[in-house]
Amino acid sequence: MKPRVLVADDAAFMRHMIKEIIEPEGFEVVREAADGVEAVEAFRELQPDIVTMDIVMPRSSGIDAVKKIVEIDPQARIVMCSALGQETLVMEAIQAGAKDFIVKPFKPDAVLATLKKVLEKEL
Amino acid sequence: MDLAKYRALFLEEAAEHLAEMSRALLDLEKDVASSGSIDVVFRAAHSIKGMAASLGYDSISEVAHKLEDRMEGPRTAGRIEGATDLPLLFRALEGLERMLAAVRETGEPPPPDVELVAALADPAEGALKKKAPGRR
Repeated sequence: MKPRVLVADDAAFMRHMIKEIIEPEGFEVVREAADGVEAVEAFRELQPDIVTMDIVMPRSSGIDAVKKIVEIDPQARIVMCSALGQETLVMEAIQAGAKDFIVKPFKPDAVLATLKKVLEKEL
Repeated sequence: MDLAKYRALFLEEAAEHLAEMSRALLDLEKDVASSGSIDVVFRAAHSIKGMAASLGYDSISEVAHKLEDRMEGPRTAGRIEGATDLPLLFRALEGLERMLAAVRETGEPPPPDVELVAALADPAEGALKKKAPGRR
């Protein structure tokens, strides 16, 4: 069965890019969320296998969304999408329960390798 | 990757972010302590930075990155210094608009705006040194 992915990013452009990288490689994007609130609601509803989560988003940040998702499911597999200069925020997200991170601009091989690694992780 | 498709998506989305940024700066002219507007400018710069870097528009990404960094202080303080910050922020907005127009016209990455990047990185930069053209 295809791993089910929730993609959270306020930029449709970035969501589109992730989708285009991962879907041909056997992942299924089950929902796209444009902010942290939508991401939490979608996670609660769909219980995806893995989440890609942007850090800076309106309404509720990626880090706040990680905290809420981990409350719903402590085993949630969340990969942060970070940009240059966000090392501190990435560490905060990892401490909040995110499992790994990918860096923008996305390199397809790195995105796929990270998602596969996180999915294979024993929790 | 279909570059033309992504370029069109980028131009459309970045233009929306700049329109939001413009509205937020106009709000900040009226209320320097509008933390919502400060957040809008920060997030718009952040989004443009990531998108531009993804397409190799490094000069745009660099300006957006410096603008994002520049907004850290106002985010923490909950206000901007109207007399010094606003002209520079309007100048950054105009710089980004100009760069997007160049991409729209040529499809190529625009040249770096070294002066703008330096101004955004300079904590002393403000209205007393340079005035924003046109907007105010």
